[in-house]
Amino acid sequence: MRWLEKDRMEAVSALRRVRAPAPSAAGEDSPRGRDQIAEMLGASIERNRYGEFLRIERWLAEPEPCANPEALALVLPSLAESSVLADQEQWLFLDTETTGLSGGTGTCAFLVGLAWWERGGLRIEQLFLRDYDEEHAVLFALAERMAQRPVLVTYNGKSFDWPLLDTRFRLTRQIEPEAFRAHLDLLHPARALWRLEWGTARLGELERHVLGIERGPDILGELIPQIYFDFLRGGSAQPLVPVFRHNQSDLSSLAALAGHMARLAAAPEQAQPLEQYGLSRLFERRGERSRARRVYEMAIASGLPVALGRAARRRLARLARRDGAVDLAHSLWQELAAENHGQAWQSETLSAFSGEDDPAERKQTLETILEACEQLAIHAERIERDAAEAILWTRRAEHLLAEADGIDRRCRERWQARLARRLERLNRAPNRAISRLTGTAPNPARRPARG
Amino acid sequence: MASLPVRRSGVDTLASLEAAVDAVVRRQPVRPGGDPGSDVITAIHETPERPAVFEEMPDWLRPELAAAYRAKGIDRLYSHQAAVAQAARAGANVVVVTPTASGKTLCYNLPVLNAILENRDTRALYLFPTKALAQDQLAELHDLEERLGDAFGVFTYDGDTPADARRAIRERGHVVLSNPDMLHAGILPHHTRWMRLFENLRFVVIDELHTCRGVYGSHVANVLRRLRRIARFYGSDPQFLCSSATIANPGELAERLAERPFELVAENGAPAPRKTFVFYNPPVVNRRLGIRRSYINESRRVAQEFLARGLQTLVFANSRLNTELLLTYLLEANPAPPGGEPAIRGYRGGYLPGERREIERGLREGRIRGVAATNALELGVDIGSLDVVVMAGYPGTIASTWQRAGRAGRRGGHACAVMVASSAPLDQYIVTHPEYFLGQSPERAFIEADNPEIFLNHLKCAAFELPLQAGERFGRIEVDEPAQALETAGFLHRTGGAWHWTDEAYPADAISLRAVTSDNFVILDTTHGEPEVIGEVDFTSALTTVHPKAIYLHDGTFYAVERLDFDDRKAYVHEVRTDYYTDAIRYTQVRILEQAARKPIGSEPAAGAHGDVLVRSQVVGFKKIKFFTNENVGAGELELPENEMHTTSFWITLERPFIAALPYSVSERQAGLYGLLHALEAVATLLLMCDRRDIATAIGERPGEPGPNGAPAARALPAEGSPGVEQGEFFEPNLYLYDAYPGGIGFSEPLFRLSAELVERTRELVRACPCENGCPSCVGPAETGVETKQVAMAILGRLCG
Repeated sequence: MRWLEKDRMEAVSALRRVRAPAPSAAGEDSPRGRDQIAEMLGASIERNRYGEFLRIERWLAEPEPCANPEALALVLPSLAESSVLADQEQWLFLDTETTGLSGGTGTCAFLVGLAWWERGGLRIEQLFLRDYDEEHAVLFALAERMAQRPVLVTYNGKSFDWPLLDTRFRLTRQIEPEAFRAHLDLLHPARALWRLEWGTARLGELERHVLGIERGPDILGELIPQIYFDFLRGGSAQPLVPVFRHNQSDLSSLAALAGHMARLAAAPEQAQPLEQYGLSRLFERRGERSRARRVYEMAIASGLPVALGRAARRRLARLARRDGAVDLAHSLWQELAAENHGQAWQSETLSAFSGEDDPAERKQTLETILEACEQLAIHAERIERDAAEAILWTRRAEHLLAEADGIDRRCRERWQARLARRLERLNRAPNRAISRLTGTAPNPARRPARG
Repeated sequence: MASLPVRRSGVDTLASLEAAVDAVVRRQPVRPGGDPGSDVITAIHETPERPAVFEEMPDWLRPELAAAYRAKGIDRLYSHQAAVAQAARAGANVVVVTPTASGKTLCYNLPVLNAILENRDTRALYLFPTKALAQDQLAELHDLEERLGDAFGVFTYDGDTPADARRAIRERGHVVLSNPDMLHAGILPHHTRWMRLFENLRFVVIDELHTCRGVYGSHVANVLRRLRRIARFYGSDPQFLCSSATIANPGELAERLAERPFELVAENGAPAPRKTFVFYNPPVVNRRLGIRRSYINESRRVAQEFLARGLQTLVFANSRLNTELLLTYLLEANPAPPGGEPAIRGYRGGYLPGERREIERGLREGRIRGVAATNALELGVDIGSLDVVVMAGYPGTIASTWQRAGRAGRRGGHACAVMVASSAPLDQYIVTHPEYFLGQSPERAFIEADNPEIFLNHLKCAAFELPLQAGERFGRIEVDEPAQALETAGFLHRTGGAWHWTDEAYPADAISLRAVTSDNFVILDTTHGEPEVIGEVDFTSALTTVHPKAIYLHDGTFYAVERLDFDDRKAYVHEVRTDYYTDAIRYTQVRILEQAARKPIGSEPAAGAHGDVLVRSQVVGFKKIKFFTNENVGAGELELPENEMHTTSFWITLERPFIAALPYSVSERQAGLYGLLHALEAVATLLLMCDRRDIATAIGERPGEPGPNGAPAARALPAEGSPGVEQGEFFEPNLYLYDAYPGGIGFSEPLFRLSAELVERTRELVRACPCENGCPSCVGPAETGVETKQVAMAILGRLCG
């Protein structure tokens, strides 16, 4: 092809690259001196029918296996059967290092980090591709390990590591891993437990804040692909050493985090208030209602920030109502409805309440209080058979809605319609003696005599 | 003014149409034997009503599918539908040429659905040029899906598809409706998720194939290479079913795009109503300068003749601005009744889907009497059929002219289309040569799938999708050499006989199938303090349109360019009131790298050739030109970076004896050469079915005999709009028409092949123009007293001889 001649190729911008590839460092490692690399990394060579690859092994005395592995199920709402957790021998911790973060078929996991409990500590095994032609061998080895330990434990593995590996398996057109029994992705419970407190759910951050581990110098994740590319093009293996270490740290933190989560789930009373709030939400999602209620109460009692306290009360009240704990629900709704007693509903006061300027937060606060009024109206109508009281609560909600600003139109209209329907129905009710009360606000501090 | 009359019965419609045509025509009758170009109505072409040609449903058709179509009122097929179904059944790749509203959807739905009903694993991928067209087809397929008791799943997959719906589409979609852009960036790079589709992919449908031409078509050809490569990986080899508007080479285009042999179905069996096609050339108001009346005003007048007689009329304009202008005029003439909805509406891209549906419904129901539209209404969207189509300006290609004209024509009625020409050379050529337009379609669609820029970009995507194997072919080219180049650049890494992708980036993200280059300049308006983005121009136009001190026209407003930030690709502008515009002076130098072929043209010593060239161009200054009078009122110098591009070119060499034999002065000869090039360029865009921006021109001295490694550089000489610059005469000039895209887009070789037709048609264009010495419609504006046109005609005469 004429255009492929060298001088013409230079003009083609498709060949221009933002970052030039590192010059291959001849001499440092002989180009295909694969055994030397193994030596440098303290690795051994593993062979199977698809070829060979490097294996790096470590054993760590810490972390130790979970004392109460089954408790972990409590914070994993999507886990169908908790019995898979009982046998910790079956767990396989997994974390990969890849050639990119964008996904798609062109991204490869060049390092597959695995770990499992062994002799009271953690055995780490890293499978490394010295070049792309070793990928099938690594994937085959991974499939073998997964068959032995079919409970996968990852951090963000459901969205990232596993889809990527699944793509790589499919691309082989011949290696098919057996389906794992369960995939425990700890990212989701970690978010619920710690993001409120630390503003992040990155594993490295949680390691420091939650587990109290100082990792020491670590490599920036975004540099990793380029380090591997440079190595592929004949660069030294030395820059890869921190990548292996990084992966090992992530694996041991992952294992430690699993134990920590299980401990918290088993003994919520030892958790921090924010963790308790997160735990009860996870319990609730898992359908552990009484456990959830108990921990919501703990969290409220141990003192949550105002907005969260309100949210916790609301959730607890809903749970209590559904479980038929009418008194508990009623007193919580009353607490919530009383919070703004005597205050005008301007946005400043609203934000003063929520402790935040965030409009979403403000909206949530308002909706919580509206819901409280509504629930009190329902309580008055159905349980206390006091239509006048019910109308008073509904009117109060209408009043609040009318005075509140800073909420979007759709939300306002939805509530307006909902409250108007209720009022209309209440007014049609046989007991019309209540009309005398219209226009006056009830005393929210007043607790009904009957229960 | 009274509101528009409501629709009358069919007979009345017919009578009003004839009356309206009369009114348009009577005002400016055809004068046989009159001065060419001075007629206003240059042709009235009547096509008689054509009855349908039917065939029975094929006997292999599944009874439930036949029943579903019967329930829709279809119990026979048009002959072309039957032919496509038969060929598809036999396993052939088929391209069917279909005018608007001839039932092309059924051409591919019938064989595809039949195959799905026979084997539920069968999958099909439909590619449409626009999302709107896919939406239209979705409605039709949903209807069939319902009639067939949900026997198959059909989904659209485009940028609007919500993430949670995507999984279901990948698993359950028997028919996936998408577009080449989405296939390129969303499906192929994630093919493992689409395993079910690719393992069972039997049909790929490409709708409106003729839109896949030029740069876009060259990209699409490479996307199809990637598609076939992935299908092969999963063990499938899909059949291609394509539809195209009428062009000269639908089969060739299909074969170049899909790189497979194709069967062509060109006989159309659909019925057509009686049609009248009127060619309207606005009257000349200044004969010497070749100035005609405004075609926008004339279009409005013509449209009003029809609207006033209660005929449903669609007016097409070629730009948004003109669409808005026409809409304003027509609304003024036909105001909405008090409290009622307007009977005239606008329609263009950017309208929301709901709004568009409402207008389409209004048209079908007759509530809307007139629409001013851009080409958004040209392709397949179902609006029913109207009485009249008025085109303000030639749509650019014969194919889209027919598509727009096809919007008029009720069954059993009488339809009319009027083409109102602007003064652009192409419009003038068409309106003065209706026989060219009405004859066998001369338009050919070209692509160059092996353009290095495009090829390499898609090879990167291919490598991302699956490693490139040594010895593998991508299209016709073995990948080894280009893959090595990509390896050297750091994108790929070779191991175990294959090249693997080694870059963090997702290559498809960086490649747009639509943009010529991704290197655009942003226009920032500083009039109101904070700079505000008002538009973008591509790299090549930026140098001539937003250079410092340029007057830049955007959306009807004039801006002066304060500063051009070349490195950050930004142009800062502010609003101005001005009585002049600017015209950049660009020096272009073409160096021939390699001549691929050469042949003599005409009777005198002249030759046509094509090959690879290096084009260096630099904007060195600008002229200020006064509005209306076109006086040169100033100039400026500019220092802008030189731009260099490898591309392909066609050129005509006029040898010394040829030049010497011309009976004109040196300066007239020079002016004539530039004028000739102006006209040649217009006709080339016509033959190549391309945009004027796709081709550029230059004149240079013919180099000495080319050496082994290219040729000695020609003298640097000004081209493009600067014939007035002082210079010596060309000794043996080369007239270059080169592809304005790095690497070339496949126009040069066809131009070389068509060179006889090129010069012949150019002569016709110039001869038919009524101006004296030259005007924008033929050889470009001439300086007073310089017989530009006559020189050009003299050269053309010898070239045609």
